[in-house]
Amino acid sequence: MPPRIIVLVLLFASFSLVYCSIAYYFLSRPPAQEFMAWGVFSPSGTLSNYFSGSEGNVVVGKPLNWHFGITNQMGSIQYVQVVYRLGNSTSANPNATAPGDAIPQLGTTSIFIPNSQTALVNFTWSISSEKARIGMVFINMTINGQQVSPPVGAVSGQRFRFFFELWTYDVASNSFQYGYKGQNSRVGLPLQVWFNAA
Amino acid sequence: MRFLQVAVLGVLLLLSSSFSIGREEASGQSVRVDDARSALVQAFVLVRQADLQGASPGQISQLANNLNLALDYEENATRLSSDAYANMSLQLSNTTSVQALSTANAARTQTFFTQVSAYSVAVAAGFGSALLVLESHRLNDAVRRFRLRRIRLE
Repeated sequence: MPPRIIVLVLLFASFSLVYCSIAYYFLSRPPAQEFMAWGVFSPSGTLSNYFSGSEGNVVVGKPLNWHFGITNQMGSIQYVQVVYRLGNSTSANPNATAPGDAIPQLGTTSIFIPNSQTALVNFTWSISSEKARIGMVFINMTINGQQVSPPVGAVSGQRFRFFFELWTYDVASNSFQYGYKGQNSRVGLPLQVWFNAA
Repeated sequence: MRFLQVAVLGVLLLLSSSFSIGREEASGQSVRVDDARSALVQAFVLVRQADLQGASPGQISQLANNLNLALDYEENATRLSSDAYANMSLQLSNTTSVQALSTANAARTQTFFTQVSAYSVAVAAGFGSALLVLESHRLNDAVRRFRLRRIRLE
């Protein structure tokens, strides 16, 4: 083979390698850390002032219009479920690895959220009635139009706690799993809001 | 005595048949909601595949809206024990699945053509660059000849 052709083939291979690498770089998805973020927002759209200045005291019959803001940065559409529970000052908290299974569940709300989008989920609730039993106050509630009677009471109606958990649908196990899929393990993001039944 | 036996048997048959009808209705309804739920999950899986295969955010948003509507119907079906809502959810989920499949196919084809064209351009540019380097002396000669011709003309 003439040396000219060999040089041409070598140059062609080298240049093609460089240009194909550049093409691969531009065609590849940019690396990004996958995560989900969320918060429970007051009617004024802030992460505070949930009770309009009444310091956590909720009056029977007064509706509170909160909403969840849930951001999906997981790289693909997610099927998300918000689980809400009612506890008191002695309830065991859900944490980053385990949900609050021991705390009674009041309900769930589900939504599909495309990647890089934030969805708003309404959470309207009120205390419909209170019942005192041996120093404990038990409450009946209306959450998103549904009546619930949690089996949890609080001493003198003080220091109830709402727990909110984010669950995502796992295609492999065909079920909702606590938190979202992190790099090595699942990441739980529980939220809580204290209140008193006034 | 025989009449009593027949009467008891008749009553038992009547009771068992009404019980079985009630069960069929009840299980039929829950089966419908279960079907709607399965179809919704299936649609989600397909939309997710389309998303991962590079469908545009606009298309995925549209499919997500359909999924959320189907989810609303399914929740209504569960809450109200309504077959009508379960059917609406089922139909919308199936429609969304079909759309997601076609979107995924289009995205896959688009990605394939984009990759083929990008790598073709890269290989062609590689060949062009190799030729340019190898034949650069001819280019220099041509430029030199052109300059000489201009000087002679002047």
